[in-house]
Amino acid sequence: MKVVEFIDVSKKYPNGTVALKGINLKINKGDFAFIVGSSGSGKSTLLKLLMKEETATEGEVMVNGYQLSTLEPKQIPYLRREMGVVFQDFRLLPNKTVYENVAFAMEITECLPKEIRRQVPMSLALVGLSRKANAYPHQLSGGEQQRVAIARSLVNNPALLIADEPTGNLDPENSWEIIRFLTEVNQRGTTVIIATHEKTIVDAMKKRVIAIDKGRITRDQQKGLYGDEDTEYKIYS
Amino acid sequence: MKIRSIKYILKESFLNAYRNRLMTLASISIISAALVLFGVFYLILVNLNYNLNILSQQPKMQVYCLSELTDEQVNAVKTEIDSNKYIDSITVVSKKDAFEQLKKYLDNDKTAEGGANILEGYDDSFLNVSFIIKVKNPEDSGVVATELRSLAGVENVVYSQQTIDMITQVANWVRIISMVLIGVLLFISLLIISNTIKLTVFARRKEINIMKYIGATDWFIRWPFIYEGIFIGIIGAVMAFLMVAYLYSFIEPKLSNNLVSFGSGFSIVKFQSVWGTLALFYAGVSIVIGASGSVMSIRKHLKV
Repeated sequence: MKVVEFIDVSKKYPNGTVALKGINLKINKGDFAFIVGSSGSGKSTLLKLLMKEETATEGEVMVNGYQLSTLEPKQIPYLRREMGVVFQDFRLLPNKTVYENVAFAMEITECLPKEIRRQVPMSLALVGLSRKANAYPHQLSGGEQQRVAIARSLVNNPALLIADEPTGNLDPENSWEIIRFLTEVNQRGTTVIIATHEKTIVDAMKKRVIAIDKGRITRDQQKGLYGDEDTEYKIYS
Repeated sequence: MKIRSIKYILKESFLNAYRNRLMTLASISIISAALVLFGVFYLILVNLNYNLNILSQQPKMQVYCLSELTDEQVNAVKTEIDSNKYIDSITVVSKKDAFEQLKKYLDNDKTAEGGANILEGYDDSFLNVSFIIKVKNPEDSGVVATELRSLAGVENVVYSQQTIDMITQVANWVRIISMVLIGVLLFISLLIISNTIKLTVFARRKEINIMKYIGATDWFIRWPFIYEGIFIGIIGAVMAFLMVAYLYSFIEPKLSNNLVSFGSGFSIVKFQSVWGTLALFYAGVSIVIGASGSVMSIRKHLKV
């Protein structure tokens, strides 16, 4: 079953920049995919199209049954509830505790308080932060903050988890921990899409790799590596 | 919207106001300052209008009949005056009434000269029957006076053209000036309030952005800000009201003493008779401005 599908998608910004050209892409339920590419390759635009922050100028984007080209602005919040999003800069609410940050994602979807009280501790336990529930984000390390963000993105049981450079602000040790959590999430059945620059991680994971360059998909490979041509010696150097 | 969301939103707006308490305090102060100014102008206007009303009703025209007229002749004069289209009402002051008034006046103000006792031996026959006339439009007083003077049996017409003219003019100017001032002040308060809420929204733009990404609807994002705006507005209004009430209760007795010695029936409006209107107005203005200021300020940040 497809969770994400791009059909001949192009995106041209009003200033004339062509960010994506003729993108065709399918991501199935339960997939774990890396999207790699240098900055300016169109990677971010691809994620923005998924979240309907931007709309494709041509083609169709389908996300979990939503047809994004005709999606009304009023429906956008409901689309976004189908996906959990994790950002490079964590985007936690600084004046809410860890618990409140996670509960917040359920409050805005108007869940029952009973469900919130049950679901939030579970989510925090999953990322190993039960004991920090009452701490504020600034009292946590970067790795811990990102784990809170993951707990928040998962609390509504989304079909799809999108992570935009989730390890970009973290040291290698914390990065690996985040990747480990994302893998766990994936093993529980959630589709995970990670946009990243981290060659070491991509190479070691041996998962699906979608490479984008100058607005086109240049490679889509199961069990792929970060960059094909120079991987042979870079891995061992 | 579901009940529990309302509870969440209310809690959230209070928490937000508390967490950004410095900003909240600043907004409350600005709103109360604007409303205090507004209240002061309003009360000045109310008092001026009140006094102008008293004054413009006071200098009525008095028409004196010749003292030798019989009752029928007096009635004829009254019918004549009644038919004048400029006249609002007529009150007859009979000889007996005039005599009583004179006695009272002497008793009260001329006690040293013997009071009413000096009228011993006199009756009311030397006095004139007179009519107190209220002219519909004070500006017509001149015309009316000339017309009435030409009537047979009328001895004299007493009125004060200049006072009436002056009062009419002052009344008009005061009305115009205070309307303009209140309008300008209201507009300035709206700008200040919406700008302050813009600051609050701006301080929380990241929060709004995050909420958009995790699937909050626009109204869900808006409500806490709207309630916060209303909350700030109402607190500001309550403070302004208390200040104005205190100020007025402080000034009122002093001013009313001064006005009594100034004479001419000037007086100051009792606070009890204006607080209702003022409070209603404050509530309305603060709610409307708080809410609309919030909506205006948040619009830009909802586009993600």
